[in-house]
Amino acid sequence: MYLDVYVNALFSILVFPGTIFLIALAFFTQYLVRKLSARYQRRMGPSYVGPIGLLQPFYDFLKLLRAKEEVVNRFSMPRLAEFALLIGVSCIVSSVIFLPISLLNVATVFDVLIFFYLSSVMPLFAMVIASLSMPSPYTSIGVSRLLSLVTIAEPAYFVSILVPVYLATRSGGVFMSISSTYVNSSRLYSNPVALVITALSLVGFAVSIQVKAMYPPFNIPEAEQEIIAGYETEFSGPLLALARLLHDLDIVIALLAGVYILLGGPMPFNHLSPQGVVVLALKYLILLLLVTTLKNIMGRYRIDQALVQVFKYGLIPPIIAATLTLVAP
Amino acid sequence: MKTTLVLDPSSALTIVVALLGLSILTVSLLYYALKSKRIRVTNVYLSGEPESVVSSITPSVTSMYWGFMKRFARSLYRVLVEEVHTGSLHDWYKFLSSWLALLVLLAVIVLIASIIAGW
Repeated sequence: MYLDVYVNALFSILVFPGTIFLIALAFFTQYLVRKLSARYQRRMGPSYVGPIGLLQPFYDFLKLLRAKEEVVNRFSMPRLAEFALLIGVSCIVSSVIFLPISLLNVATVFDVLIFFYLSSVMPLFAMVIASLSMPSPYTSIGVSRLLSLVTIAEPAYFVSILVPVYLATRSGGVFMSISSTYVNSSRLYSNPVALVITALSLVGFAVSIQVKAMYPPFNIPEAEQEIIAGYETEFSGPLLALARLLHDLDIVIALLAGVYILLGGPMPFNHLSPQGVVVLALKYLILLLLVTTLKNIMGRYRIDQALVQVFKYGLIPPIIAATLTLVAP
Repeated sequence: MKTTLVLDPSSALTIVVALLGLSILTVSLLYYALKSKRIRVTNVYLSGEPESVVSSITPSVTSMYWGFMKRFARSLYRVLVEEVHTGSLHDWYKFLSSWLALLVLLAVIVLIASIIAGW
């Protein structure tokens, strides 16, 4: 029994759905975002490396990691930046054990809070510390914009995942647990009020994930050309590879959380059935398509406009959903 | 085979921290084994300008605070400038006393409520 748990724990963290799988999924997600964006803009997108360009993100990562040099200045603290980014990546990897996709699935009361802390708060702080470790005026502006945006976007993301978890677990199962939310996901669609609550949470989730991914219209922290590359201006070579990996993993874990918490994972099938795998992949792709479409059809907001829009469309809907959840029977 | 463990929060946290340590070890080993060791030292990138164009490499905390207040919290900034920091001690006292009165009122309410509830 204990041997099974240890083996599953090791396999979950090192292979599936931990380090190797998450990194592969991050590269695949980046490929899809680049390919879909290219098609929206009538370009080819990644095409030459690997079948239909599938290996392009992996080769880009490898090029930055192995071939490119690290460019530093006399104010840089690259070791601190590396340390922060490695912590961020590890936090995301270890948070997967709370998702039902993990071979070792840990459930406890309020595990959604630990998941949120590991998969959302820590990676953000890691990115901010890494950016400030490689200082420049552009970096400072990028980080201050990023922090301004996330003061609204993180609560929006938090409420949008907290509300469905409460709705699904309040009348049975492990209270405020992601696994129980997945098992009881039918409660999210069981009546019209629950459906409205889930829909409002989904709206907040979609807006906040756009901010977390720093995709248009909320790409103001990196604001390409306006402030050079914003928070990542001074990253280069292996550090840039690590920062981009953390950014992609952040999107992947948020999408997985959305798939399991808001959309019920592979429901109505289970994980081990072929239909379940297809449904799970489809739900992930639908969320990704939504994010990529918003990225391509909208222009960049100014920071003050962005703050107002995130508040209006990102924070207000989940707050209404939370209020409805508390007053609805 | 999939295992689901339903645990108490402290045990769950212990497992997560242990797995986080394992994950840091794995990711760090992979990163340091694969990364390029070449380093080039340059000046800070300032769009081709010399470092002398900026007085300091990062803005001071005071500048960031006032920048934030002026740009993103305009109404709050207006209140601060037009009602609090007018240069008249009377205005400052008037503003502050209204908030003090509110705090005193809240304290009295909490006190009465705690006496009634028998805390």
